[in-house]
Amino acid sequence: MASLSIISLDLNGRTHSITSGVKSVANDVYSPLRQAVVDVLNPIGDFFAGAFHYGAVQSENQKLRATVGALEQAKAEQAFERNQLRQLTALENLPFLGSLPTVMAETTENDSSNFTMTITIDKGRADGVDVGMPVVGAGGLVGQVIQAFHHSAVVQLITDGQSKVGVTFGNELTGVIDGQGPDTSMTADLVPPHTALHKDELMFTSSLDDASYPPGIPVARVAAFHAGAGASQETITVTPMADLDQLAYVDVVLWAPTA
Amino acid sequence: MSARATVRVALVAFLLLVVQSTVMLSIRVGGVHPDLVWLIPITAALLAGPETGAIVGFWSGLAFDLILPTPFGLSALVGCLLGYTTGVATAAVDRRAVWLRPVAAVIGGVAADMLFAVLGAIFGQQQMVQIDFLSLFVVVAASSVLLVLPVSRLMRWALSTEGNRRTLVSAHSGESGIW
Repeated sequence: MASLSIISLDLNGRTHSITSGVKSVANDVYSPLRQAVVDVLNPIGDFFAGAFHYGAVQSENQKLRATVGALEQAKAEQAFERNQLRQLTALENLPFLGSLPTVMAETTENDSSNFTMTITIDKGRADGVDVGMPVVGAGGLVGQVIQAFHHSAVVQLITDGQSKVGVTFGNELTGVIDGQGPDTSMTADLVPPHTALHKDELMFTSSLDDASYPPGIPVARVAAFHAGAGASQETITVTPMADLDQLAYVDVVLWAPTA
Repeated sequence: MSARATVRVALVAFLLLVVQSTVMLSIRVGGVHPDLVWLIPITAALLAGPETGAIVGFWSGLAFDLILPTPFGLSALVGCLLGYTTGVATAAVDRRAVWLRPVAAVIGGVAADMLFAVLGAIFGQQQMVQIDFLSLFVVVAASSVLLVLPVSRLMRWALSTEGNRRTLVSAHSGESGIW
């Protein structure tokens, strides 16, 4: 009975603040302790990992250096276009991500539960991070803050089964990208059958989904699509733009949803 | 449970919480990490019976709920049911049987994960049943077999301060003041 009462308190919108407050206090107390333990244990783990995988680490380091060089070159080449786009967007009075303030955060924990796809970051309410704020990094949209504590926050990844992101693509077409959980491709739903699409087409956040995200953040690219006979919508599988396996650092966009 | 046993059980639960959120999270097989939370009520129930198992399962689950993104109270509910069921289901089994703890840990761990996912989905978290259950069950079963003995040793120490061992449960059945 006690458990059911607590769950009811947590799921009820009016009393959720009580349980989230308790969790917030507990996390604020526990996070530094956990981090201290991790700081002690990490060098030991790294020592063994380095000893066993020295060759692979060296090879990966070389690849990363090459990638960084290519990205720096691309960044320099795109600076002019970005500047023009920013000016045009400002003229259209749209909130472009580049003009929105962000807070860089370090990921302290991946998937703390086997049943959810989340990361925990080391920035919280004290840094301006709040529930509902988008999180970007590693090439595109990473997810959304679902729990914010004083000095940490939990981010639900876009691949989580509960995640839904309103997107726009092509010629002002819209859809909703649904997370499907681990090891299952995300899908783009609510797209009419036989919509003009092409593989690798980019999908960006739209402002139609109750403005849960600012428009223009790259979310995913089309991996495959087809429309079955008599289907009410196109079947589209998409892959996230962000490399969700490389989330050591992310940016929280200090933008609150309107809904 | 006596105050001393309560403090010791709380210490053990806290220690396992720290181990879970640091060491266990870094051990991943097929994207799944071992889960220590269910071993606490299982070992408590095997050592001290269904009532103690339920009480320990509730409070340890609630402690784990504080750091999990799943609904608050869900681990407490499953831990409570798990502790009680384990105690009742093994009541007639010889305590000295070598196979008892590993078998109880595997069956209890897998059943608890299944119940956790189904209850989570009922409470609106549909993503909790959209996971690879086969990988989850394999990892949880294997890790439970490996970890049940050290957890059981810790729980034995925690509960050793009073006469609430399994054989004496009936004599102390009225003791559940921790609620």
